[in-house]
Amino acid sequence: MYDLTGEVLARHWSRRRLIASGGAAAAAAALSVGAGLALSRSGSSEQEGTGDQEQGPVAAEAALNANQNGERGISDPWKRASHLLRRAGFGGTRAEIELYAALSPEEAADRLLSFDSVDNAALEERLRREGLTRDQLVRAGPRNVMHQQFERWWLNRMAFTARPLEERMTLIWHGLLTSQVTTLGSLAPLLLKQNELYRSLAVARYDDLLLATSKDPAMMYYLDTVRSSAAHPNENFARELLELFSMGEGSYTEEDVREAARAFTGWRVTPLPRPNVPEGATQRERQQALQEAVASWNPEWMLAPRLHDDGMKVFLGRRGNFGGEDIVAIVMEQEATARYITTRLFREFVYDDPAPESIDRLVDVWNRSGHSIREVVRAILAGDEFWSERAYRAKVRSPVELVVAAVRGLELGALPGGAVQAGRRRTSDSLTMLLDQMGQRLFEPPNVGGWPGGPAWLSSAALFARFNVAAEVTFPGGRPAAIPVLEAMGDAEAMVDEALLRLVDGDVPRESRDELVTHASAISDVRERAATVAYLVLCSPQFQLA
Amino acid sequence: MLTRRQFVRGAVSLVSIGTTSHSLLKGAVAFAGMHPESVRAAGADRVLVLVQLAGGNDGLNTVVPFADGAYRSARTTLAVPEGEVLPIGDGMGFHSSMQRLHELWQRGKLAVVQGVGYPNQNYSHFKSMAIWQAGDPEVRLDTGWLGRTLEALEDAEHDPFLGFNVGTAPARELYSPEVAVPTVSDPDQYGVAFGGETVPGTDPRVRTLMKLYEQYPAASPHGVLLETTAETAVASAELLREAHQRYTPAVTYPETSFGAGLQVLAEAIVGGLGMRVGHITLGGFDTHSDQADRHVELLQTLDEGLAAFYADLAAQGHADRVMVLTWSEFGRRVAENANGGTDHGAASVVFALGGQVRGGLYGERPRLDQLVDNGNLGYTTDFRRVYATVIENWFGVPHEPLMGQRWEPLGFASA
Repeated sequence: MYDLTGEVLARHWSRRRLIASGGAAAAAAALSVGAGLALSRSGSSEQEGTGDQEQGPVAAEAALNANQNGERGISDPWKRASHLLRRAGFGGTRAEIELYAALSPEEAADRLLSFDSVDNAALEERLRREGLTRDQLVRAGPRNVMHQQFERWWLNRMAFTARPLEERMTLIWHGLLTSQVTTLGSLAPLLLKQNELYRSLAVARYDDLLLATSKDPAMMYYLDTVRSSAAHPNENFARELLELFSMGEGSYTEEDVREAARAFTGWRVTPLPRPNVPEGATQRERQQALQEAVASWNPEWMLAPRLHDDGMKVFLGRRGNFGGEDIVAIVMEQEATARYITTRLFREFVYDDPAPESIDRLVDVWNRSGHSIREVVRAILAGDEFWSERAYRAKVRSPVELVVAAVRGLELGALPGGAVQAGRRRTSDSLTMLLDQMGQRLFEPPNVGGWPGGPAWLSSAALFARFNVAAEVTFPGGRPAAIPVLEAMGDAEAMVDEALLRLVDGDVPRESRDELVTHASAISDVRERAATVAYLVLCSPQFQLA
Repeated sequence: MLTRRQFVRGAVSLVSIGTTSHSLLKGAVAFAGMHPESVRAAGADRVLVLVQLAGGNDGLNTVVPFADGAYRSARTTLAVPEGEVLPIGDGMGFHSSMQRLHELWQRGKLAVVQGVGYPNQNYSHFKSMAIWQAGDPEVRLDTGWLGRTLEALEDAEHDPFLGFNVGTAPARELYSPEVAVPTVSDPDQYGVAFGGETVPGTDPRVRTLMKLYEQYPAASPHGVLLETTAETAVASAELLREAHQRYTPAVTYPETSFGAGLQVLAEAIVGGLGMRVGHITLGGFDTHSDQADRHVELLQTLDEGLAAFYADLAAQGHADRVMVLTWSEFGRRVAENANGGTDHGAASVVFALGGQVRGGLYGERPRLDQLVDNGNLGYTTDFRRVYATVIENWFGVPHEPLMGQRWEPLGFASA
């Protein structure tokens, strides 16, 4: 028993109870305003409908009944579709939300998961137009500049893809199977290869993803696999493989870490071709030659037998002359891995503290499907927990989600920023500078554990940066941006309702809507009014949540 | 005259800054603006600045047991040569990149606690950090040890900067649901801005925004967090900006982000913002490879930063009320690996620096001939004794209710 004095304990526990129990009731209370507003504007129908009249097949099922965990379902079809697109993608446009509002949960999950067959040529064309092809990216200049171009490339993919779940899964794997651009230095282009790997195996069997990750050159450099030898095994990768990538802390011993490290010794990548340096080259020319050599390098995993320890190992109670592949295979047989990875995916999509029974169901899917990520994600997206009021707005939006959702929700033609700002310390693109202040540079998680996420996104400094990225979207350079979808609305009231519907499902307290209308009505210039309304809604507490 | 506490409790409804009036915090801000002299008086209290050395600092190459043959044989390439060690007695010495800290040691301003750790060392960065941050090897509470300390301090006073974190993400040591802690990375960027120009809290857009946060029901998802964060941010921004603008450091800080962050903390201390607990992180200590160069650079960054911070505070008459405390989630393996690095280890060292710190060596030196867990240093001093020393002897707050049990303080801080 923990021997804290009663007073301290009581304070902590009562506070936690308040926070834990209060959410559902308030969400239910807020729903009344939101649902009516959302429905009155959804679809092409002009009629002022009630929830019942306009409920599509999605809402008709299970919506009002508590699910097997005793959680009420989200009933409003717009909210349901918007919730789905926030979690399985990066937020929807109006047309996308209307489209998904007409689908059942199974149909919606299936549509999102069948992204292989969705044509993405428009995205590739856009990337070509913006000078963000692979060949350009890996030759973009010094690492700092290259990193910013990588970020821009990926943010464009997230904002303008026709396959939102593909990018979402890639981001999930980047956050779990992390590598950092600053650690890789001049080998930064390897991170693009890693990113492409995560995209290509986004919903594969986890066995395949985990083994490919173990053999991924960026990962092998990041966690020192390339430098581990039989004489001196380096534990870095072996430890993180068990702790972060598969089983979770507490389900293996220190001895298992050491034995696994021995199995990965001698793992190397095919060598970098010698840079083509002309005689008498300047320092700058040498740098360029090295960058070119790295840019055209496509390393593959290889085994260096003389550096590999092929002796007997004892790992998780099994004995054998294990190599790294065997370690991955044994790890994949563990119940701990099944629970750890399914829990991680549940948290990514639904809420932070699943009931054990929710995970039991996913572990069952995991086992029956041969560890198929696609099937586990399908089960999550079709599950009652996902569609519950408890899941609605339960997650804090990450900074990249925030930016991309703003662009998609307002149907802007391009990402903000891109202009070089002089005098900044580390970055020059105003967008990456703000992402840094919000705490999320893509390709640069804070450490091997990835971004902690959740409430940790909401420090006071990060909240200012969130406000200021909203200003970058709506008032670039201090001047109001063109936002046609809002400017088209007649009066202040219609404009506020449209912004609320698109960005926060129209689900705000009525007094907040009135406050926004009052503010908007005082601005006569339509462009400035639209930008201001968009700014305020992007900064609202509701938009900080997903 | 009116005390700050009376003002905050009694007069808040008269002086809220533009939004609603239920917040104690806003009252404190308004009071500070109207009565700067009271802020300085209250600010005469003691301050702790916690420095996290993230990644696992190699204690053996920080405070080097150079006279121990076992050290030399375990560190075939990484052992610091005897001639490069700055001796502190007992066959030990600082790494040569810590000249300035060595000088402070000689002046009796620096305490070194050896062999700090806890039972059943956890070798995961994240678990071990969580243990140190909670102040409990079982991590049974989700508050930080300094968050609980702030709650105790807050019973006596209330300031938006009572706890203050330099960085981007919140500091878990300082977490308490009862006390909001502002986090600042760059004071110039800390505020609502349009086109790069910061606007005041009286801007109509900021006022409307604050209303949206007040109207968002506290019991809605993340309701308390969102409202207190927004309120803390807006309330603290103008105070900080003022302190930042009128601040002239007495020394030149090193041009590292660690140095810049320490200067922000000095601004809060000297500027009378009521800060009692500050926090800053220096990362990069996970030296699995190429440790020689990387570790030297990190220790030098630490050395230059802390020395500048101390000198600045001393020149402005605040060194005696500030204590700097360093910690790391673990030390490194005694034997080096094949990559000129070291893997995750166990016990490490803690530094306490300050004008009123009782310098010297504390705790027992861990033995290199009695390693634990296949090659790690066994701990000799429980980290909770360090915390008890800070809570009880430095802040004068009984530590037992906050730590769950009684620990013997170490004596580097006087009551």
